[in-house]
Amino acid sequence: MRGCVALFTLTILSGCTGVQSALDPAGREAGTIARLFWWMTIGSMIVWLGVIVLLIYSVRTRAESFTRRKARIMIVGGGVVVPVVVLTVLLLYGLAPIPAMLAPAPPGSLKIAVSGEQWWWRVHYLPPGQAPIPSANEIRLPVGEPVEFHLESPDVIHSFWIPPLGGKMDMIPGRKTRLVLTPSRTGVFRGACAEYCGASHALMAFSVVVQQREEFAAWLSHQSQPAESPQELLAIQGAHLFLANGCSACHTIRGTAAAGVVGPDLTHVGSRLSLAAGILPNDPNAFERWIGQTHDLKPEVLMPAFHMLPPEDTRALAAYLEGLK
Amino acid sequence: MRQSVKILLLLAAGAAGLFKKVAAAPSDREINSKDEQKHSKLTLWQAAKVLILAGVAVGVIGFLVLISGLVPIKASSGHWRVTRWFLTFAMHRSVGTYSTPIEAPPLSDPVLVQKGASAYENNCRVCHGSPKLPHPPVAQHMLPRPPYLPHVVSEWDTEELFHIVKHGLKFTGMPAWPSQQRDDEVWAVVAFLLEFPKLDQNSYRGLVGTDAAAEFGEAFDQVLRHCESCHGPQGMGRGFGAAPRLAGQKVDYLYSSLSAYARQQRYSGIMQPVAARLNEEQMQRLAQHYANLPRNLPTETPDAAGAVERGQKIANEGIREQRIPACNSCHRQSGPRNPIYPELSGQYANYIVLQLKLFQREQRGGTSYAHLMRHVAPNLSNDQMQDVANYYESLAPQVASAAR
Repeated sequence: MRGCVALFTLTILSGCTGVQSALDPAGREAGTIARLFWWMTIGSMIVWLGVIVLLIYSVRTRAESFTRRKARIMIVGGGVVVPVVVLTVLLLYGLAPIPAMLAPAPPGSLKIAVSGEQWWWRVHYLPPGQAPIPSANEIRLPVGEPVEFHLESPDVIHSFWIPPLGGKMDMIPGRKTRLVLTPSRTGVFRGACAEYCGASHALMAFSVVVQQREEFAAWLSHQSQPAESPQELLAIQGAHLFLANGCSACHTIRGTAAAGVVGPDLTHVGSRLSLAAGILPNDPNAFERWIGQTHDLKPEVLMPAFHMLPPEDTRALAAYLEGLK
Repeated sequence: MRQSVKILLLLAAGAAGLFKKVAAAPSDREINSKDEQKHSKLTLWQAAKVLILAGVAVGVIGFLVLISGLVPIKASSGHWRVTRWFLTFAMHRSVGTYSTPIEAPPLSDPVLVQKGASAYENNCRVCHGSPKLPHPPVAQHMLPRPPYLPHVVSEWDTEELFHIVKHGLKFTGMPAWPSQQRDDEVWAVVAFLLEFPKLDQNSYRGLVGTDAAAEFGEAFDQVLRHCESCHGPQGMGRGFGAAPRLAGQKVDYLYSSLSAYARQQRYSGIMQPVAARLNEEQMQRLAQHYANLPRNLPTETPDAAGAVERGQKIANEGIREQRIPACNSCHRQSGPRNPIYPELSGQYANYIVLQLKLFQREQRGGTSYAHLMRHVAPNLSNDQMQDVANYYESLAPQVASAAR
């Protein structure tokens, strides 16, 4: 029994920290939300304690000791005035941060377009005055700067949520929604889809990396470059197989003939922190598994499994893709 | 249909009459005295007993006759006239009832007739005969005797013919269509059957391929001539798209497709029986033979209202919103390419459209790579399929020997 309680407490407490916790804020918006959460929690605790105290008092005391006037004060004061005042204060406090959170980012800020698709994230960085830089399933942000996300979906409703950085925002087919996030400390976090969107909803996540401005700028400039040609024999074979087997029908690798637009851009896929929308580590073995057992790893996903490829071809493809840093 | 309604009405009337009698019985009895009632009950019980005993006796005698082996099952002795009538009647009733929900598509397309004719020549003629050869004598000694079809086609509705060709007939020699997925092939046979009574020896020969109506044989030349009866003398088809052009096709694709047909992993009642008769070496030689033939297109296909242009755009770029990948990523003419992906340039447009539709309905099967198309074909509209097919048909194939 005691073990159960301990386990339960630990499980609850594990939500307080980690890469995907709203209670461990790493951004301005998440900070506001966390503060709101704590004040609401404290407020409701005080109200609850007050009610319990009054309950005990009312059971213990004798009705005759109350005058009519005293009783009326208790009823009108405790039943009408106090709730109205307390709830109004909490409501005003809760509504106050909304305008700031809904405000667009100041002009000149970085914008990132994210499209939620079953079951991955299409990402385009839109730096001011530059061509869009495509990526997928990973988001990198400069610390301390507001970033405006433009969110949409071509298929069903998804919801974009990076708990340590801010609130969630739905991605609705046919509409564009907006979200501003201002990370306040560097680190690696995890975002996820927060609206049930089909069989593999639970397998639709992404890594979030918050970096210093210079690091971020260097990374973004590298992402804007075409892929480097492979050097190792196996990877060179993989590059050939990628085109020959038609992977390029859906995937783009800039700098090669692969220009598909249906699936994620893979130009720098080897540099990402995870594979297949945050469900696999980024290593050659994971690439091989993803290519051959696609539907075991992510049921109903659009990508067909290439289990019929000879194992050496799969290995070569994995070596090529892993090398796309 | 009308006949089946009539019979249902008759049956209903009979059942109603019987019910009336039974219902009337107790009211008659109520008028009788108690004794008589008892008496009549006894009589009923006794009658029932006699009936049961008689039934058991007939069953035992029948079983004894059965195990004695006295019942002839000789095809040579034929049926009694009443047996024949009964079996024919039952067949007509069953075919009539089960073909009721079937709806016939338009069947006048010459492509269907030609495809059906070839299928008939290869699979059906051996029992049902043709204007080219008299009713085969061996088949004449089957029981029931397979009819010479031009004489009986008019006895059946179009939908009934479909039902018979697709499902075959129990207790006769009539087999079901070898591939239950391919209704389009069954309809082709029906389209041919509807034309059959009008054909004479020459028009029949013209339809199944004149000089190439060769019997299937062991020798490679014979095998080849058999293939040519549908795929044309130079593997360039017979002008209609009833069968695809094979000349200049990728050797890997040809071989693995033949092998998929033989293993019933690609579905076709026409190709499966042919492929199943080929040995490994023949398959490889055939694939090599057709891959080596030049794909010379006779004429340029006219661009039907910009279809080729629209098709080219889809083939080169795909359509992101519809999740259609670019066809040319796999079927490109030059550049790296897995040789198991088929060459589409210069292929009959109607053949390409048919394959796309079969993929869409999951009725095609194919090589171990065929499932890739299941992620593509369902996303194309009918018009888009036609556009893409027109585009590929219009493409002049690259130098044929390089097509391998």
